[in-house]
Amino acid sequence: MTKPRWTALSLVTVLVATAGCGGGSGTAPAATADLSAPKEKAGTLTMVTKFADPEYAPYFEKVVAAYEAANPKVDVKLEQVGDQPYKDKIRVLSASRDLPDIYFSWAGDFANKFVRAGLAADLTDVIGPGTPWGSTFAPAALKAFEYGGKNYGMPINLDGKYMVYNKTVLDKAGVTPPVSFEELLSACDKLKAAGVQPIAFGNQYGWAAIHYITQLNAYGVPGRTLETDYNPATGAFTDPGYVTALKQFKDLVTRCGTKDANGLSHETAQAQFLAGKAGMHYVETVEFDVFTKAKPAIEWSFFRLPAPSAAAGDKAALTGAPDGFLVNAQSKNAALAVDFLKFMTTKENAAALTKDNGWLSPVKGSATADNSYPQLTDALADIDKAASFAIWLDTVTHAEVASAYLSGVEGMLSGSRTPEQVMEGVRAAAAKAKKEVG
Amino acid sequence: MGALLTRWRTWLWVLPAVALLLVFVYYPIVDNLRLSFFSWNAFSPEPRFVGLDNYAEAFADPVFWRALLNNTAYAVVSLVFQAGLSLVLAALLEELVGKRMRGLLRTLYFIPAAMSITVAGVLFSFLYNPRYGLVNAALDAVGLGHLGRAWLGEESSAIWSVIAMSQWQSIGYTAVLFVVAIQRIPREYYEAARVDGSGAVRTFFSITVPMVREMTTLIVILTISGAFLVFNEVMVMTAGGPDNSSQVLGTWLYRKAFFEDDMGYAAGVATVIFVITFAIAALQLAVSRRRRYDT
Amino acid sequence: MIALGSSMERPASHRGAARASLGVRAVAARLLGWSLLGAFAVAVLYPVLWMVLSGFKDNQEIFNQPWAPPGELRWENYARAWDLGVVRYFTNSVIVTGASILATTLISAWAAYGLCRLRLPFGNAVALLVLGGLLLSPTVALIPLFRLLTSIGLFDTHWALIVLYTAFRIPFTIFLIRAYMIELPRAVDEAATIDGATRTQVFWRVILPMCRPILVSAALLQALFAWNEFAFALVFISDEALKTLPVGLVAMQSRLLTDWPVVLAGLTMAALPTILLFLVGQRQFLRGLTEGVGK
Repeated sequence: MTKPRWTALSLVTVLVATAGCGGGSGTAPAATADLSAPKEKAGTLTMVTKFADPEYAPYFEKVVAAYEAANPKVDVKLEQVGDQPYKDKIRVLSASRDLPDIYFSWAGDFANKFVRAGLAADLTDVIGPGTPWGSTFAPAALKAFEYGGKNYGMPINLDGKYMVYNKTVLDKAGVTPPVSFEELLSACDKLKAAGVQPIAFGNQYGWAAIHYITQLNAYGVPGRTLETDYNPATGAFTDPGYVTALKQFKDLVTRCGTKDANGLSHETAQAQFLAGKAGMHYVETVEFDVFTKAKPAIEWSFFRLPAPSAAAGDKAALTGAPDGFLVNAQSKNAALAVDFLKFMTTKENAAALTKDNGWLSPVKGSATADNSYPQLTDALADIDKAASFAIWLDTVTHAEVASAYLSGVEGMLSGSRTPEQVMEGVRAAAAKAKKEVG
Repeated sequence: MGALLTRWRTWLWVLPAVALLLVFVYYPIVDNLRLSFFSWNAFSPEPRFVGLDNYAEAFADPVFWRALLNNTAYAVVSLVFQAGLSLVLAALLEELVGKRMRGLLRTLYFIPAAMSITVAGVLFSFLYNPRYGLVNAALDAVGLGHLGRAWLGEESSAIWSVIAMSQWQSIGYTAVLFVVAIQRIPREYYEAARVDGSGAVRTFFSITVPMVREMTTLIVILTISGAFLVFNEVMVMTAGGPDNSSQVLGTWLYRKAFFEDDMGYAAGVATVIFVITFAIAALQLAVSRRRRYDT
Repeated sequence: MIALGSSMERPASHRGAARASLGVRAVAARLLGWSLLGAFAVAVLYPVLWMVLSGFKDNQEIFNQPWAPPGELRWENYARAWDLGVVRYFTNSVIVTGASILATTLISAWAAYGLCRLRLPFGNAVALLVLGGLLLSPTVALIPLFRLLTSIGLFDTHWALIVLYTAFRIPFTIFLIRAYMIELPRAVDEAATIDGATRTQVFWRVILPMCRPILVSAALLQALFAWNEFAFALVFISDEALKTLPVGLVAMQSRLLTDWPVVLAGLTMAALPTILLFLVGQRQFLRGLTEGVGK
């Protein structure tokens, strides 16, 4: 095969020329959506959720059908995808500026990304505190979708993180539910002496540890500092409370957990707890269903991860967050979208959410004895007491910071990093995030 | 004029292939180089030109070097097993085993390679499970229980456990390739060696090894370039964790691009992969073309 | 190289002669060799066997008696895995694999015909383009392709995978087919042309049937590739309903973390088609592999 040089050269030229056409399309200016109540309820609404799971999806289909029945001129196009696929899908839709009218979002920086890019409508006028619609929600839930003093999201469910315990196992070891972090540690020693695993803990994907850290940060670092640090534009992470929180967590794992936690999934650990081989398990309220359905049945209850006695932060903070929906800032049907969301959160529909999906609704008074079970109503009562949510550390912070935390804590658990070194990594990531958001 | 048209009409035969290659293979690879000079993500409206910043950042990033090191470890271990041990296996298969049995063993050895890497990866993540996995159970059974560990959950063992799975999967494949190469060696060579009174081991080194040299070279090159492209098994088994200890270039690129929303940095990592694999593949082409002219 | 199939069956008679002169050391060496081969066979086979058998167990049996055979054959695990997604992933994989096999072999055969039978203007440039395609790895193109596919609306469709699996495999397949076509006697198509057949007719009626063996090999290798491909399938498909087996299995594993038997049953079902395909088409497989590696 002979190769004339110039053919190769022209090939390169063609490639370079075609490569030039790849530039991004211009940005649309962030439009302020018109939210005043629609004169006539008519048109097409598009909506994407991440609730494709067969146990959750029917609820949303039902609400859509009911809304369409009540408003025959409205057509709601509902698309539901799974958890991970949703992250990809929404990324693509926002890159192509092709967002639906209503879309799902986790609380924290995930939602804030849309706000910063001008893709989320400012809903303060309709759902802000003090508005008729806004006052139907638990304040902490609304606050989770606040950014720069404005409300951008409607919370759909509530999720709190609690330490669930097996009463039988704890009784046998003579342990009562601890009220301080120090008591928790000594309770672990007792359980260990009694031959059971104190806390079932699996950290295969890193997030299980991050939930502990979220709570311990909230206890150990003043709220104002946390707010500054969790915002990518101002994050510094210099407060000594962060290192303390990591040290406390390390103690907890040493005395209550197992060495192989990084290699075990959360679910494997949970199976261990369900089998009565462990005394406690740190879980979200959305997981509570598993314990009511355990076979053989277990006698269980829960408490908050107790705060260390010397805590500079907010002892009333609770790890957890609502999930929610945002409205597309460029939507021509924003007012109709708001109307639909209002319909979804009537007390009746909120109660149905608890009954059908086993979720807690942020709508006040939606959980009652006949649509839930005692532990769930107890949890709701407790969540109502929470002054604020400590939103999951891995979604509240910028992705770079979250990533540094996830891998850093994994490293700390396997002994290759000290708490100080973890925070060094976090600070470096925060600096980078600051530059990016800049 | 008509003749010219007829000549150009022959282009219709290659047009689909050329069009697909240009649009979906060449354009993206050139575009990647361009993108690596920008800072951008799916949410940022306009990419920002940052020159060589992404590369500077990668070269200053310990995880990048860790990933490169892991790829290198992958290459080295794979060489020992897939170019070394598998040749020994192939030679033993040819030397010791009767025809029927040989076909059976050859087929058996190939089975893992016919399974997808994903299946193998998920399967091994079960085997490596610290509580219920076979690996720890096997160690316990032979009294080596103290060596048991959370294979994929510890920084010291995660990448090596993945590499070990990969050897399990690929060794039979290269062994079969070696079998083919050995069968092409003229029998007379072995007979001559026998007449000279040369033992099996000496025959292996004096005849088999040099005579399968071409195949060895190709397997070496394939193995190395495969080691720098590895993605699937790491993604399935550890996703790069814990603490990025089992990150390889491919998974690091993926994580940066699709989890940390740092597309520019990821494009920079992709360029590094490109340079490495392009060099190796060019070497392969050079070797195989020279071979064709030699024979 | 075409004679490869028969050379595989050649009895290696030198072994018989070697047996005559056995010393004690030789016996020990043979024993060692055999045990190495045997140990390797066990190491290769056991995990596969464990996967198949554990698919029939229940959780208690897997966790408490990892080595024992299942107490009873619980086919319901397989039925459950099938219903929980395997059937969907399976269908998707069949669609994507089937379409990409068809597209790749046809487009490559056309191009190979154009390159080795017709005098194309700038034929060398085309050959160079194809050759260059062999040097480029898919990982590098991940990010630009993500942009490209989103902007042309192929993201999250089966077409994305079909087009990419075709585009990235065309270079290899063209070379595979071309190497075979070159060896075909030109006299045949010349005779057909004299009989008044057009080029198109010659291709479909003469060349293509004569290339059948290599087309089968190419199709088998493409099947193995497309059935197992992971990175593109992971990044470019996000809809659960469109996922192919490799990615679907991982999704299933993360959904059913504590239900090992069902996941293992799913793995077994995913591995079966390619293993069967290999067992049935072993010879074509090996031909494709050795030719592909060699060229």
